[in-house]
Amino acid sequence: MPCMIEYSTSHITLAYSLTSNVMAASAKQSRILYGILMANLVSLVLVGGSKYLATYLEGENAGSSSGVFIFSAFVIVPLLMGAISAWYWHPLQMKTKHYIGWSVVTTLIACAASFLFLKEGVICLIIVLPLILCFTIAGALLARMLYNRKNNTLNSSVAGLAILVLVVDTFSSHKNLQLVSDTLIVNAPIEKVWPHVVEYKPITLKEEYWLFQIGMPSPVQSTVDGYEAGAGRKCIFSNGYVFDEKMIVYKPNEELTFDIISQPHDPEIMGHIDIVRGQFLLKDNGDGTTTVIGNSWYKLYVFPGWYFNLWSESITRNVHLRVMEHIKILSESHV
Amino acid sequence: MFDWIVKYVGFLKHVPLLPHVFDAWLKVTSLLHNRNLIDYIDEIETEVRLWPGTSVQAHKFGGIQFNKDNRELGHIHGNGLLDILLSRRQKNELMKKYPVQDHHVFKNSGWISYWIKTAEDSKTAVSLLNHVYNLRSFAAEDDSGRKLF
Repeated sequence: MPCMIEYSTSHITLAYSLTSNVMAASAKQSRILYGILMANLVSLVLVGGSKYLATYLEGENAGSSSGVFIFSAFVIVPLLMGAISAWYWHPLQMKTKHYIGWSVVTTLIACAASFLFLKEGVICLIIVLPLILCFTIAGALLARMLYNRKNNTLNSSVAGLAILVLVVDTFSSHKNLQLVSDTLIVNAPIEKVWPHVVEYKPITLKEEYWLFQIGMPSPVQSTVDGYEAGAGRKCIFSNGYVFDEKMIVYKPNEELTFDIISQPHDPEIMGHIDIVRGQFLLKDNGDGTTTVIGNSWYKLYVFPGWYFNLWSESITRNVHLRVMEHIKILSESHV
Repeated sequence: MFDWIVKYVGFLKHVPLLPHVFDAWLKVTSLLHNRNLIDYIDEIETEVRLWPGTSVQAHKFGGIQFNKDNRELGHIHGNGLLDILLSRRQKNELMKKYPVQDHHVFKNSGWISYWIKTAEDSKTAVSLLNHVYNLRSFAAEDDSGRKLF
């Protein structure tokens, strides 16, 4: 009989131990999950709210963009996301590599939520991912250290400062007009180059720029309604998108400047950038060659400018070069 | 890469939060290149936290900083670079005993640098931090003794 009691007791102990372990594991998973969900929920509210407010405050300056994305949306909000996640995770005494891993998961879910709820494009998310990933991980690791110091005054101050920056940024003016300029030498006289600058046949060159290769629209063809200032011009992109343009300066063999009067609403880039004006300047080099200068002016609606300008400049430059290389081939083949 | 960034864009360390973001990026790259390194840094942190009077905080230029009585013992960057501040005399003595080098930026100072890459290196890092910890403890005792007499 004592043996039976002992046997039952050991079973109960084992069952209790197993139940405790399962409960502890389940509680741990819940905290990790809460950290991910709360971070995403707060970010969705903050980004959606600040985007709406910033767009509302920019009024007509917001142009055709689907909304202004302020600096805070990609810097302060990811930092807060990391800090919110760490708030749930820090009692678990997780290793740094687990913080990094779960922060990556949090960021990827945020990207998926942006795709679903904010209708962001995949390429746009690829562009933004390195930025928000770095700040989310930094936020989680910094917050973990702050929480471990158990200094509530410091924690509140940091959180308050982050929210203050978010508010000030939301109510600040957001204007970012940029110019990208590229130059190419064409081995053909100026009068042979000019016709291909005004309008050109479809580009058949292989896509070399990696963003074009993964699906970003690239320029294909340009057509005009007439050969004078005031005439319409269309720039057609690979996915069928058309930029409607109006030629405002038409000086044969010298200058073609056009304003973009309407651009497609594409979730990838077009919602966050307005191409305002384009220009081709031709210079006779006096040796049978021509210098072609391509200029584009654009307004950027995503911040921080230093980060997104790197991308938009690279994209605009590759649009220029694709068109200008095509003009070079067409012009030189007719020499 | 780290040396290049420190040398040419090191002035950006004064931009608030940027060093911490850079350190987070260092940790991610460390995780990709030497998966165990981040664990070694965690282990060092756990060990140092056990010593009386120590605390841990984010280093102002990125990384994890260890203090004794709120005074810095040293800090480790996300790529496993341990920096410790000593006096010139202590530095020279330590350089005879341990495979440490001049600080990666301030070569002619009391700072020393030590790269953590392996489990053995992490043990050496703990020994180095412990050495400085003991120096500080003795100095503190010495100070309190002077005050008594």
